[in-house]
Amino acid sequence: MTAIPLARQGRLRRLRKDFFGSTASTMMTLASVAVILALLRWVLNWAVLNATFSASATQAVCAERSGACWAVIAARWRVILFGIYPYEEQWRSALACAVVVVVIVLSCLPRFWSFGRLALTWGFGAAIFYILMRGGVLGLVRVNEQQWGGLPLTLFIFVATGVIGMPLAIVLALMRRSELPVVARVTGWIIDTIRSLPLLSILFTCAIVLPFMLPGFLVGEKLYRVVFGIALFFAAYQAEIIRGGFQGVPRGQEEAAKALGLPYWPRMARIVLPQAFRLALPATINQFVIAFMETSLVVVVGFVELLAAGNTAYHTGEWKFAYIEVYAFVAAIYFAFVFGLSRYGAYLEARMSAGQRKE
Amino acid sequence: MDLTAPAIEIRNLDKYYGAFQALRGIDLRVARGERVVICGPSGSGKSTMIRCINQLEEHDGGEIRVFGTLLDDNLGSIDEIRREVGMVFQQFNLFPHMTVLENCTLAPMLVRRTPRTEAEAVAMRYLEKVRIPDQAGKYPGQLSGGQQQRVAIARALCMQPEILLFDEPTSALDPEMIAEVLDVMVTLAQEGMTMVCVTHEMGFARKVADRVIFMDNGEIIEEAPPGEFFDAPKSERTRLFLSQVLGH
Repeated sequence: MTAIPLARQGRLRRLRKDFFGSTASTMMTLASVAVILALLRWVLNWAVLNATFSASATQAVCAERSGACWAVIAARWRVILFGIYPYEEQWRSALACAVVVVVIVLSCLPRFWSFGRLALTWGFGAAIFYILMRGGVLGLVRVNEQQWGGLPLTLFIFVATGVIGMPLAIVLALMRRSELPVVARVTGWIIDTIRSLPLLSILFTCAIVLPFMLPGFLVGEKLYRVVFGIALFFAAYQAEIIRGGFQGVPRGQEEAAKALGLPYWPRMARIVLPQAFRLALPATINQFVIAFMETSLVVVVGFVELLAAGNTAYHTGEWKFAYIEVYAFVAAIYFAFVFGLSRYGAYLEARMSAGQRKE
Repeated sequence: MDLTAPAIEIRNLDKYYGAFQALRGIDLRVARGERVVICGPSGSGKSTMIRCINQLEEHDGGEIRVFGTLLDDNLGSIDEIRREVGMVFQQFNLFPHMTVLENCTLAPMLVRRTPRTEAEAVAMRYLEKVRIPDQAGKYPGQLSGGQQQRVAIARALCMQPEILLFDEPTSALDPEMIAEVLDVMVTLAQEGMTMVCVTHEMGFARKVADRVIFMDNGEIIEEAPPGEFFDAPKSERTRLFLSQVLGH
């Protein structure tokens, strides 16, 4: 009892009070711990203790053990990650993924937060990605958008949704609070219309119906039409999130900016939007997470994104039994990206409120 | 902009909110360098009137000229007037996501295209004038109400305006902080700033005002130099208001 430091004593007492404060809470604590331990044991047994790790293991070898058969990942990881992209050229897909990740990470760093630097980074990133994936120049074999697949396709759709959808959302949100009633009302209708359509119907429209309606030179690749549709859908929701942020900014903020003589755009860019974004940040991160998950819907219009590539990977006679392992692998990839996104959101929130707390 | 013209000239100003008439035929002239205090019961239209001067409210009838420039639907003239007319609000309205110094340099840099170093030097000069240069690196949320309002005054001064409008600058302050803000306002008045203040601080009015204006029900009821206004008010309504404000 003698050598326990005071801070730790406090923590111990707190722990006892929170988890063993009454008979009921003691029972709840013990029951929860039992359930958690049982789950952990089961997962550990399946994923590690009873699993087969040997890359060359066959179904027969795996079947002798009760756990996971990770050999399927060793055998099929290239299909999961790159889909139907030509096998010989898949190094280009891998490199393209790396480029996207680097660009995303760079633009998350505060020192890159200037219009010039971001534009430069994104311009370069997009160009390199496009050249790598599509080829047809610099001696790279041409690979059509229809053959893109797996992680690079998922990342491309997600990033393009954000890059097109976010500015669109800001414009829609600003138009919705326009002082001109016509503009405000029409924008409201547009947003409500897009929101009342299921994403699937928008995807089908963009992929299949638009080519009949648009003049030939506007049709373009199916992938780009589909991405545009998803971005539009994203923008409609995100515009409402930003509008919610606007409503949290006191009216006096804009009045003070007006009284100082700031014209409309600087007023929005420097005073209103930064504050609205701060208020809208949790919901915005949420929307990005949803957007990342929804990329998997493009499978219905014939694109083999990450999840669809995973499906393809075990759909051979040989590996048909190992679908849980494949899904676990795909889930881990989704988790890595979304968890990173959530942590970044938490970091942004902490950073934005840092200087402004009362001391 | 003609600095020889009257600083503010308002003729027959009307303002409606729906069917409610907030201002009824206001006439007001403020000369350059003059200090005018406007008082009156709440809802009398005094805030609405000074907010028309920099067009935070649009007026529905009559004319407003600031240094000879007519305020009409021409957005250019509104921007021009706002550069020359500073405003201090009841709720301070500092930008919470910027430091005190950034609050002060934003408009000069963006609107007047002042280089950063010069804008910061000017800002520090005015922060010294309002006696808080040591808070320049802090965020508004870290300051007391009185300090925030003094920063708001410095922020308005950094645009080096010809006219300062005060919209109940001490009404949201704790009593012990009112004096520090009024002191700054007195200093400005003594240096010859053209000021239009909506305030209930009658001591301030008596001390610095050239003219006191009493408004009620959207009209100007009485205007007189402070001595005459406080000691020999002509209108019954003014007398009633003064007895309520000063009576205890």
